[in-house]
Order: sequence, then structure tokens, then C-alpha cells
Amino acid sequence: MSDIYIICVEDEPQVLDVVIRDLAKLEEVFPIEIAHSADEARQLISEIKEDGNRIGLAICDHIMPGDKGVDLMIEMQKDPFTEHTRKVLLTGQAGLEETIEAVNKAKLNRYISKPWKPQQILEVAVDELTTYVIEHEKELLPFMAVLDQERIQEAIRSKGYV
Amino acid sequence: MPIKKKQKYFSMKTVTGLSLGLIGFLLPLFFQFDGLSYAGHIALGIFLMAAVFWMFETIPIYSTSMLVIFLQITLLSQQGLLYSETQLPEAAPEHQSGNEWLVPADAIQDGKVLVIQDARKYKPLDVNVLETGEMTRVESADISADTRLVADTRHKLVGYTPPGFSVFFGTLANPIIILFLGGFMLAGASVKYNLDKNLTNVLLKPFGQKPMFIILGLMIVTATLSAFMSNTATTAMMMTVAIPIAMQVSKEDKFRIILALSIPIAANIGGMATPIGTPPNAIVIANLTQQGINIAFGSWVALMLPLTILLLFIAWTAMRILYPPTLESFKLSLKGSFDKSLKAKILYALFAITVLLWFTEAQHGIPSSMVAFLPIVGLTVTSVMKQEDIRSLPWEVLWLVAGGIALGISMENTGLAMWLVSSISWDAFPQLLLLLVFGFVALMLSNFLSNTVTATLLIPLAVSMGTAGIAGEGFSLVITSLVIGAACNMAMLLPISTPPNAIAMSTGFIKTPDMVKVGIIIGLVGIVAVLVLSQLYWPLIIN
Repeated sequence: MSDIYIICVEDEPQVLDVVIRDLAKLEEVFPIEIAHSADEARQLISEIKEDGNRIGLAICDHIMPGDKGVDLMIEMQKDPFTEHTRKVLLTGQAGLEETIEAVNKAKLNRYISKPWKPQQILEVAVDELTTYVIEHEKELLPFMAVLDQERIQEAIRSKGYV
Repeated sequence: MPIKKKQKYFSMKTVTGLSLGLIGFLLPLFFQFDGLSYAGHIALGIFLMAAVFWMFETIPIYSTSMLVIFLQITLLSQQGLLYSETQLPEAAPEHQSGNEWLVPADAIQDGKVLVIQDARKYKPLDVNVLETGEMTRVESADISADTRLVADTRHKLVGYTPPGFSVFFGTLANPIIILFLGGFMLAGASVKYNLDKNLTNVLLKPFGQKPMFIILGLMIVTATLSAFMSNTATTAMMMTVAIPIAMQVSKEDKFRIILALSIPIAANIGGMATPIGTPPNAIVIANLTQQGINIAFGSWVALMLPLTILLLFIAWTAMRILYPPTLESFKLSLKGSFDKSLKAKILYALFAITVLLWFTEAQHGIPSSMVAFLPIVGLTVTSVMKQEDIRSLPWEVLWLVAGGIALGISMENTGLAMWLVSSISWDAFPQLLLLLVFGFVALMLSNFLSNTVTATLLIPLAVSMGTAGIAGEGFSLVITSLVIGAACNMAMLLPISTPPNAIAMSTGFIKTPDMVKVGIIIGLVGIVAVLVLSQLYWPLIIN
């Protein structure tokens, strides 16, 4: 079975630390990788691909040196490998235009504005990953303990298998 | 990373399973076992391979079933590789004097010669062996100059009449499979129209807000639903009811353990109550039907319901003592309303009629598998179940059961099952001890294997003890099979024992020792209860 990764792309180390700390509960099931720029993220994505693993969730800042977060997400949406990755934009400064572009072209799943409330990132991540595993995984039991149990049980009920 | 380690373990397991399976398959080809026919050797090979694959899950258990059927049609059917061109080898007896004849030594076995009737049939004939040698002198008044004998008593057609391949394929349309298909259609439609959820809400209401009564309610509802639906789907559905309750108590509260344990336990137990509750029941019924013993839907329920109720009560009491609840009362948010669309109403009606007909077989005489075709047709004709719904039924379970039935056929008609059980002199065993042994072995095996697989491997053995009459006085085929079937369903010691257990475990509310504690109590009490029922209660229903 291949691993499902969470990747976080953020140029500010302090913010990145907070995100990682908030998501710590998920790490035993979903390995977390970080990148400080869009370029680093591309490299990270290709490494994960080469190892035969997948990316379930990408949390991405918008304002970064080099390519912007929205551009990276549009790129990910076009690549079949990351097409189904759940995409969350995390930013304080994306304008309306850019946000619309992200929703339309990158099929952005969530938008979290800075500053966010404690727990908010974890809740969003749990929700998005739950959607990802229900849609893409056959065996749901390994994810039960850390994700949304009710939704996963419901999925098992309606699929009728384990 | 721990996950990498897991991958390696899996491949090791696969390699071990594959090689053991292959060895098992080839073993009987290199060893001659006394008293086992040629076909029996092949069936033994298939049996060993299937047992290994089922135990190690080298390949998915349903594909092992498919493989079994494939090997049977290619190796054991009339049209298969081994039997399509075969004829019995002929030998003519040489006349000596009077009733004395010379026959080849290979043509005699245990004082019998085999008189050929046509290319594949023969009839054994007792003879007096006067003098043995390369040509043996025998005496019999029934041999004449035009009698043809089977030249070699070890020939592959001796002891085995290969059935047509359609017999093996036919297991997929076995009445019990159709009965299950009917059950699947009803269950699938119930999930689609949320009948299961709404029914749960209605049924749970009378149980109030006291913790242990909520648990009792959950258990009774779970058991009732799982008697008609898959144990797995029922568990998952009931978990969606239990999780909001669990959220109301703190993480350390033991009430979470009871919540997460009560549901899989009740689902496992509830499966026993009706023929369609769980696949091992199908194996029991299919094997008994082959022996001409029919168990009506209602009789099955009458046989098993007392056991179900008893075990539910025991489990409830045990959990109450092991994990006494601390809280006074709970809020149970029971929302939802019945779907009132026309299609949903058609489902309700068909469900009610089908179940009613199942329970009244004694009055109208229509077999339950024929009744099961009513929802199959009714739900599709009315488009209550559409193409995509039919595709989503658990067809692999039907394959699994079909393969089990097919394996049973070959174990019986090649004499393999008989050979396996005849090595022990069973008539020295008191009947009760025999039942205990069977029940205990079934319980142990099925804690580690799929319940269906355990039933598949054990029930043909019980059946052949019955048909061979080697089990001694008072042996009842029905009771022995029921004991095995019940024991298979009582195995719930470990997370791997049943899919409902795995679901409960995955919630993280319980740890393995919790499951083991309650599992041991249910297993032990269950075996005793089954034995008591088998002596005092079942004979009343069966006769």
C-alpha cells in the first residue's frame, strides 16, 4: 500500500511551524512534507511520485517569492498525478481575481484566510482527507481513527464492503 | 518507516502462502494414500491448496473460490483434461473349472472384483479368493465367459464418477446463492432508501436514555438488522449512531469501550438468526440440502433464535460487569424520517411480503430461495434497484460461497471427506464429545479465518461422517452441521476474526484485550449453550 502525503508550501518558517504543529495528529497516518517555495514543491511532488506514493492534501500559501501559490495549484490540477489532491489555499493577501482563478482553474477545495483560528487547519485537513480517502481508497479502516469517523462509517455502509 | 516494514511482511506472507499452496496441491500427486481414490488425491490437492490460500489470504478469498471451481472443471469433470477420454481398462477372466476363474491380481481388491457395465460404470462383486499370485484364482457363480472386469482397481474411474462440468458451474445458481442474492437485493435497496437508518431510529426510541438500556437497544437493533443485512454494513451503519454518543463522554470513559464493542458483537451474533444472516449459514444449508435435508427459513430461525437471544444477553451482562458505566443518562439524537416516495414504498412492501413468505414456508410450502426471487424481480422491474445498484452488490460473497459449495461436492463424491474422517475411530467418542470437538475446532479456526471458509472446510467432514455411518450411535447430521455453523459465527476474539470487529477496532475506542475478554466469554458460554441446545432443544424442532 502506498502512503498518502500531506504537503505544506509556505515561505515563512514560523507559519510553517504552526501549520505542522496543528497537523501533528495526522502525521502517523499521513506523512507530512514541507516546501518553502513553488520550485521546492515541484521537486517534492516528483520525489513523492517516484517513490510510488500519492498526495492527498496540499496546503499552500499564496504570496511567496517566485511563483505564486495559485499558479502552483493550477499546475497541480493539470497534472494527472496531483489532479485529485485536495487543495487548500492559506493566505491573507490573495485578491478577489486570484481567488476566483484558483477556484475556477485549480478546483480549489478550501480557502483559509490568515489569521486562522486554532483547530481550523486541522478541521479542514481532516475533512478534505476524509473526502479524499472515501473517493480514492478501497480499504477505509486504517484512516478511521484520525479522520471523520461518521463519514467513513457511512461510506462503508453505502459501499457495503470492508 | 513502519509502513515499509509492513510491505515486506506482506510479500513474505504472499511468498510463503504461494509456495505452501503449491506444495499442498502437488503433494497428493507424489504420494499414494491407501484407501483414497485417484480422484480423491486430486480433490485433496485442491483442498490443501484452497485451505492454504484461504488461511494466508495469498489471493483474495473469493478468487480462491474461483480457482477451486476452475481446477474442478479442468481436472475433475467428465469433460476435463483427465477424464474426457478415459475408459475403464478391461480384463477378461480366464475360465478354470466350474465356478473358478483366473483374474489379474490388480483386478482384485479386498475380496472384490469390479464388473464393467459400460465404459465408465462398474459394479463390485464379492468373490472367493482361492489362490493369490500374478493371476489370482477366484470362485464366483456370477462370473461368466463374457463378463468383463476392471483390470486395475486403482484406475482413476474406480471410486469416482466424474460429474459434468455444469455441476461445478451450477453451484453459482444453487438455491442458497439465490436466497442470498434476494437478501442482498433487499439489503442494498434498504441502504439506498435509508430504511435501515430510519428503522434504527424508530426501534431505538423505546430504550430511553439510561446508558445500559441504550446499549441493550443498540445491540438488539443491530442483531435484528444484521439477521437480514450484511454484518459489515449493519456495523458501519450502527457506528454512525454510536459515534455521536461516544462524543458525549470523555476519552477515558469506559462507556466508549462498551459502545464500540456492543455493535460488532451484536452484528456477529445477529447473523446467526436467519439463513441469509451470514454466509456460513449458506454452507450449512447447501451441504444439508445435498443430503436431501431441507431446513425451512422459519425452522432455521426457530433453531437459532434462542441462541442469539441468549448470547446477546450474555454479552450485554458481561460488558456491564467489565465496564460499569459512570454516567446517568444520554441524549440520543434520533433524526430522520422515512422516505415516502413511491419507490421506497414498493421496497417496504416487497420487504414485508418477502419476510412474511419466508417465515410461513410451513403453511404455503414455497421454498425460501423461490421466495427470494420475488424481491430480485420486484425491485428491478420497478426500477427501485437500477443497473448501478445491482453492480454494487457484494457479488464476491456469492462466488466465495459457490466455491465453498463446489469444494464440498468434490470432497464428497471423490471420497476425500470420507477418507479424512475415517482414519479416526469416531464411534469410540460419545456424541457430546464429538460435537464439542467439532464446535471447538470451528470456533478456534474461525477466529483466525473467514467464518465462511471455516464452515467450508469443516462441514463436508461432518456430512461424510453422517453418510458413512462411522460416527456411531445417535449421530445427527443436522445437529452436527448446526453446531459447526453456530461455532463459526461465535468467533469474535480478535480484530481479524470478523469484518465488524475490524470496524470497531479501527475507531480507536477499544484495544485488542477488551475485545479478547468479551470474545472469550462469548466463545465459551456459546459453545456450552450450543451443546445444551443440541441435546435438549434442537431435536424437538428437527423432528
